[in-house]
Amino acid sequence: MTGRLGLTYALLGAAALAVAVLSLAVGAVRVPPGVIINTLFGLDGPTQDFIINASRVPRTLLSALTGASLALSGAIIQAILRNPLASPKIIGINSGAALAVLLAAIAVPDLPLGWQPLIAIAGGIAAVSIVYAMAEFRPISPARLALIGIAVGFTCDAGVDFILVTADTYDISAPMIWMTGSLWGRGWQHLEAVWPFLTVLIALGLALAFRLDLIRLGAAQATSLGMNVRIERLVMLAVATLLAAISVSVVGVLGFVGLIAPHIARALVGGASRQLLPASLLIGAVLVMLADAAGRAILPPIEVSAGVLTALFGAPFFIYLLLNRPSHGDE
Amino acid sequence: MSLAVGRAGAARLPLGLSVALLLIAIAGGALFSLVTGGRSDIGLAAIFKGDATSAAVIRDIRAPRSLAAALIGINLGLAGLALQAVTRNPLASPSILGINQGAAFGLALALIAPHAVPLPLDGMAMLGALAAGILTFAIAGGFAGRIDAMRLILGGVAVGAFSYALVRFAYTLEDELARSVVRWTVGDITDIRWPPVLRMAFWTVSGVIVAMLAAHRFNLMAMGQDVAKSLGADPRVTLLIGMLLAAGLTGAAVSVAGPIAFAGLIVPHMAKLLFGQDHRILVPTTALLGAALMLVADGMSKVVSPPVEVPVGVVVALIGAPWFLLQTLLAEDLE
Repeated sequence: MTGRLGLTYALLGAAALAVAVLSLAVGAVRVPPGVIINTLFGLDGPTQDFIINASRVPRTLLSALTGASLALSGAIIQAILRNPLASPKIIGINSGAALAVLLAAIAVPDLPLGWQPLIAIAGGIAAVSIVYAMAEFRPISPARLALIGIAVGFTCDAGVDFILVTADTYDISAPMIWMTGSLWGRGWQHLEAVWPFLTVLIALGLALAFRLDLIRLGAAQATSLGMNVRIERLVMLAVATLLAAISVSVVGVLGFVGLIAPHIARALVGGASRQLLPASLLIGAVLVMLADAAGRAILPPIEVSAGVLTALFGAPFFIYLLLNRPSHGDE
Repeated sequence: MSLAVGRAGAARLPLGLSVALLLIAIAGGALFSLVTGGRSDIGLAAIFKGDATSAAVIRDIRAPRSLAAALIGINLGLAGLALQAVTRNPLASPSILGINQGAAFGLALALIAPHAVPLPLDGMAMLGALAAGILTFAIAGGFAGRIDAMRLILGGVAVGAFSYALVRFAYTLEDELARSVVRWTVGDITDIRWPPVLRMAFWTVSGVIVAMLAAHRFNLMAMGQDVAKSLGADPRVTLLIGMLLAAGLTGAAVSVAGPIAFAGLIVPHMAKLLFGQDHRILVPTTALLGAALMLVADGMSKVVSPPVEVPVGVVVALIGAPWFLLQTLLAEDLE
């Protein structure tokens, strides 16, 4: 069994590496693999210093990091809510963070980049608090929780639309691209703004993995095993919220990654969180790198937003999940 | 027959008075929508002074826009009413079930490749609406005879997200369209002129007639699929009628204004609050209420943050989204 798991991780790692190379190679200018290797390792021969080092390397790293964060966030949320339909987007984190970032961009136009993650966090937390408060208010089914999250998301989206259409076009041209979930124009400075937060949170999320397994047993069993379920759930929800909100602050609303990645991981390595979380992490990284690379490769020099591609593949997957659960099995 | 009337007797005001109030609201909304706009000096009084410019502004710019707003309100309100009736789900509406977004995709196709598609703009929008509606109903199990409430809503949201991603993908291909994408994807009637409005009027009138004819079937459906069947109204036929009606009305509205969300959700609910549950009364009153709401929203869209006009779809969403949230929290019969 361990042998099979090891093989799975090796394959996932290889896939991540392959997609990363693909992401470095494709775009408005195609760079052959030999040139990539020359540039990265400073070898002799033809190089593409600017395209690779200044543009595509930070972009690829950022897509891997945000993909991993969104996937981990989704895996944690699905576990604590015990809801296979849950994801950062479904419970309103993405839209709340987007609204907050946009409000800040309008109110303080020359806000330093470093503030953006903090503002996104505030918005994400606000949205989740509403959804979570509703869930605490009375026992509700997983499906209804998803519905409340969707409704909170719709409300935030209405605010986002209002800001986008009333603001000066100059102010919103950048937020516009960001809203569709794109890595266009993302570089080293964006990576620097978020990587310390995200790596710490990822480490924290992975460290909490075994406690998630206890929670998945159900509140009663977990309590009898000595857990303060309420507190632990809140801590984990906070980690998941921060992961998603910070990711949204740099790459915008990348829907469905947090939903899909944990499901693919579950199919590959099973449901135990200690395996599920690292696998989700790798798969999320692969998915977002792939979406970004594909968006650049389909119609160069036009870029299709990564968020469009994740929605095109993610929405049918969500429907598939919906059809494969018992229709009245709302726990 | 008395069964079919249901709770209609619980109407709060005498029907005649309510309808009179609604008509007054429409007249007020129409006036509001006609006298507001970029040229704030042009009011109704200007026409009677015989000023040619003012008359032209009212006749060629504001009148078609106001009429379009009213027709869109009627279309979306009735589409929502029909969907809520045949699915027996209070959250059903063109935007929640993905039908709006499906229509938008059909329209985007027709705009990008006018020669490659078999139908004109409104036809493609209706086709897109129908495709999305069929997909959502299939996911919910509607064709197998039992609609699962949660699958209907969540499936609809997913179908909507998918169609919307297709719309955005289509815009990526066509730079010219991308320029107006923000205003258009939220529903906007700023630049509308007479020809599309008249075409839409044809669909609206047809839709109202079909809805009136189907009202009794909708009443039977409200009593449950089994009761409806035993009284001679096959639920599957009612479902089909409701879906065709909703797709046609939504497609016509979207082809003119883009996907305006939430109007189809809140208008039928307001009508039910005011007039009870009898669809023979609800069909005409929902139409009137939809027209009144959209006329007021259109007027507000011009005065909320001058000189920028907020697309009317945003005004409606700012009212409708919180309403949807409230309803999600309060609805008892979802599980």
